[in-house]
Amino acid sequence: MELSLVLFLPAAAGVVALLLPAAQEQLARWVALAGSGAAFVLSLVLFFRFDNAAEGYQFTERHTWVSVGDFNLQYYIGVDGLSMPLVLLTTFLTVASVLVSFNITMRPRLYFASLLVLATSVIGVFVALDFLLFFLMWELELFPMFLLIAIWGSGRKEYAATKFVLYTIFGSALMLVSILVLAFDQGTFDIELLTQAEFQDTIIPLNLVFLLLMAGFAIKLPVVPFHTWLPDAHTNAPTAVSVMLAGVLLKMGGYGMIRMGVGILPEQAANWDIWIAGLGAFSVLYGAFITLRQTDVKRLVAYSSVSHMGLVLLGVAALGDTGLTGATYQMVAHGLITGLLFVLIGLMYDRTHTREISQLGGLARQMPLLATGLVFAGFGSLGLPAMAGFIAEITVFIGAFERFEWLTLLAILGVVLSAGYVLWMLQRVVFGPVRHEWDELTDQRAWWEHTTVAALAAVIVLFGVFPSILMDMINPAMEAVAARVVL
Amino acid sequence: MPFFLADVLEVGVPTIDEWVVWAILASPIVSWALIALYLRKIPAVAGYVTIAAVGLSAVLSVIVLFNVMDADGGTVVFTHEWFTAGSLEVNFGARIDGLSAIMLVVVTSVSFLVQIFSQGYMEGDKGYGRYYAHMSLFTASMLGLVLADNLFMLFVFWELVGLCSYLLIGFWFHKPSAAAAAKKAFIVTRIGDLGLLAAVLLIWAEGGTFQIDEIHQLALTGALSSTVITWFTLGLFAGAAGKSAQFPLHVWLPDAMEGPTPVSALIHAATMVAAGVYLMGRFFPVLELTTDAQGVVAWIGALTALIAATIAVVQTDFKRVLAYSTISQLGYMMLALGVFGYVAALFHLMTHAFFKALLFLGSGSVNHATNTFDMRKMGGLRTAMPFTFWTFVIGSLSLAGIFPLAGFWSKDEILHDAWDENLALWAIAAFVAFLTAFYMFRAVFLTFFGEYKGGEPVDHHDEESHFHGDPAHPHESGWVMRLPLIILAVPAIAAGWVNMAGMTDWFGRMVAGALPEPELHAVSFDWWIAGSSTVIALAGIGTAWAIYYRGVIASSTLRDAFYPLAAIFENKYFLDRLYEDFFARTVLQRWWNRLLELIDVYIVDGIVNGAGTVSRGLSSRLGVLQNGQVQAYGLGLVVGVVILVAAVFTANPL
Repeated sequence: MELSLVLFLPAAAGVVALLLPAAQEQLARWVALAGSGAAFVLSLVLFFRFDNAAEGYQFTERHTWVSVGDFNLQYYIGVDGLSMPLVLLTTFLTVASVLVSFNITMRPRLYFASLLVLATSVIGVFVALDFLLFFLMWELELFPMFLLIAIWGSGRKEYAATKFVLYTIFGSALMLVSILVLAFDQGTFDIELLTQAEFQDTIIPLNLVFLLLMAGFAIKLPVVPFHTWLPDAHTNAPTAVSVMLAGVLLKMGGYGMIRMGVGILPEQAANWDIWIAGLGAFSVLYGAFITLRQTDVKRLVAYSSVSHMGLVLLGVAALGDTGLTGATYQMVAHGLITGLLFVLIGLMYDRTHTREISQLGGLARQMPLLATGLVFAGFGSLGLPAMAGFIAEITVFIGAFERFEWLTLLAILGVVLSAGYVLWMLQRVVFGPVRHEWDELTDQRAWWEHTTVAALAAVIVLFGVFPSILMDMINPAMEAVAARVVL
Repeated sequence: MPFFLADVLEVGVPTIDEWVVWAILASPIVSWALIALYLRKIPAVAGYVTIAAVGLSAVLSVIVLFNVMDADGGTVVFTHEWFTAGSLEVNFGARIDGLSAIMLVVVTSVSFLVQIFSQGYMEGDKGYGRYYAHMSLFTASMLGLVLADNLFMLFVFWELVGLCSYLLIGFWFHKPSAAAAAKKAFIVTRIGDLGLLAAVLLIWAEGGTFQIDEIHQLALTGALSSTVITWFTLGLFAGAAGKSAQFPLHVWLPDAMEGPTPVSALIHAATMVAAGVYLMGRFFPVLELTTDAQGVVAWIGALTALIAATIAVVQTDFKRVLAYSTISQLGYMMLALGVFGYVAALFHLMTHAFFKALLFLGSGSVNHATNTFDMRKMGGLRTAMPFTFWTFVIGSLSLAGIFPLAGFWSKDEILHDAWDENLALWAIAAFVAFLTAFYMFRAVFLTFFGEYKGGEPVDHHDEESHFHGDPAHPHESGWVMRLPLIILAVPAIAAGWVNMAGMTDWFGRMVAGALPEPELHAVSFDWWIAGSSTVIALAGIGTAWAIYYRGVIASSTLRDAFYPLAAIFENKYFLDRLYEDFFARTVLQRWWNRLLELIDVYIVDGIVNGAGTVSRGLSSRLGVLQNGQVQAYGLGLVVGVVILVAAVFTANPL
């Protein structure tokens, strides 16, 4: 019941916001804050009530929804050590997204409704334990995303929105094929059962099923060469959507790889592991090299995400508990750090109306708080210890090094490249001579700006200094996944 | 291995309460948090809070040192589980032994004096509160690095001191040169850190532990193959070469002088840059087992010492002379580690920390009076600034290695070890000793003797400047700056007396006690080493005196005589141009990254855009967004079904 509340509270608040009378449309943000806040508090309660020692899924709910012949479409949800942190991350970033949207004046009812439905669909992906429910939630996310980018975006927004949708659908199609093949073989969509299943003779070879499934998730993560939708989507999306996109939507891909890819087809994962690791290391470097060429702050962070998500792939490919735990940790850490980066870039853009690095500079004088935030988030992004990203990266590296020495050594080159693009960006945006055209601009002032930035920063440090809070939750679930892999 | 009668040490276990150890680390962290959160806008308090916090750490460090002395240099470890991820287990712990106890005292005492000095030096700066916040954080990070009982934790604090170094080099961030120098420092050291990170990964994969004592044991018992030991050591050394500014990664340290001078004194001379030497010292029992890595360490050290000393000779910037001198002396310490000079390297680390901090603070005092670091605008400051002058001369004599000052004892021990191991290395070290004495006294004569050349006029339009003196009439700095100079002059003179060859061996016993098999290879006093090095140092000072005081020969004539060499030195061996202009800007950015970007835009994205044109055209022509959605959705489903059908037919052909 609690988990269903976490799942549907945002969407319910979205409906309420949509139904507000036009005269009260400015109330929409408060409705959104209440709904997302309630979902966050409730998921926090679940996080603390979560029993790290227990096996399997917790807070489960199961209802038969549609029954056709042998097939039951179930409403089956629950969380384990993999999904619980991601659910909390989603509800947390949803609140942050609502807060950074507080000054939205254009069609606020539809805006907040879309944002909240988006939150529900992402939470749904993480909690669904029925493959069809998972797929439904996965597809549901497209609708609000398309609206948010196409209506409230900037620049080539229709292009970016369409590209995003097409890419995802292409991936979904591949995924749907695999889902159907697996489900028809076992006669169930139940992820728990599929995870324990011995597949007989599927209509297409399991190795191919695995690849189709992974391709669908790889587009979402994204993995090079399926990544070009991401910079376009980020550049043209409003701030809150960038936060959600980088913060949680990409994690649907990593989550799917672990839960479905490795979880359901461990044998096939082992067959392809070195290819996956190679693609991971390649994404890390390719993404980082191209990041170094970016001149738009948002595109820069978007490409850096490609690089950081390559680490998730590398950790997954290691197929051991350390690597998988590191990959999951990296998803959470990247969600927080990149979320914070996009929040700050959004606040900066609201003031300066430019994201071109060459037009910025010296902001540390006029906006010391914002500048401090950018330096902080930048160092988080380059993997500085005492922040969550470091713990994640080094855990991935240690997990991967045991299996793929040379690929891991290649991937750690990304550590230097990330220092390069982050510090290059900081040098040109935050530091340097004062530019007097920004003299009139105010520093981060509003309460909702402070709260969002401070909360994100605090959590990044919390998970960097006390990693056990998350590790002890993630690790048992990853041990269970790794235990089924025979190398 | 040089033949000495090894003196096997009997060590006990220090009896220290654990809270004392953690309080040393916690005190500056608390100070940082207080300043960062509450006291940024109250500068007066920020300084005192930092001084009090570091002072407390210093007192506790001395208590710890006494405890370790009571145990004859024995070791005690307090360790706790930090986190686990599958088979990965990481601890957070403190290792107290002779080595770390001495380092704690060095770090906290130098830091304490530098914080006091900063009160005068940074007075009136807009970022005063921020300065002390960063300084507190730096001190804490450095103490964490020293205390770490395992390589993982050491790496954590290693990176954190890198952050503080970045923030403090770039402290005057409105200056483009400062912002660029900060970035350069962080990136160049991070290149070295790749090696350290690789060593961390390797030791976990091969040894399954990060604990320093366990790694020692694994190496000693032969549980690690010699290949692993060599690569592990080289990885550590790559990290050490970055932090300790060894060739070819030394290029960041001279630029780091863009930071405030007290920062240079504390971080870029006395403590952080010595972290590389400390790291290699910590893993000396492993280094000792691999002659390949030892050779690399020794020769890189010697080369660094030589290259940096030759550049120092032609600098016109007072502070950069000191910067290159620091690089050169760090090279000396590495050289020592490569020739079994474990005690010598760490001994020189300690004495160098004191006299180099003194020299840097002296240069800060000069800058405070003249508003410049350009020695061509100085001269004659001896009379105007007697305290600064005399303390600076003491520091210079100590660095030059004049009997009986601190530098004499530690430098001689290194020369001694080099002499025993490899004559070529000794010859380089001896030549560097000559250059060292020469460039230091060149600086002394240019700055403090002759006619005063007016300093740098104050730019009243520079809103960032907080200079409030009259450069035309330089005067001695106030007591808050004088006092640290006077206090630091004491160890610059006497710190070497704790390990006088053939006479005292307190220092040697303390750091040797930290080894897994505590034994001391006592160095006997050698008249040839001591005599030759004194002659060399006096020759260097004499040459400087002849050229820059008596003017026996004009320096420009000398420059012409050494023409191609002098140009190479002045251009810093063209390394900055090779790295920045050629490698970073041209090869990496203009060629390689540009190529990838073109591929990304025109091939990877180009193919997709070509394929997507049809549906995009439809959705924009219809104009209604929701319809575009349905179109796209439908297309996706069709594609999926087609693939599914095709797959079914492939699997079961009709």
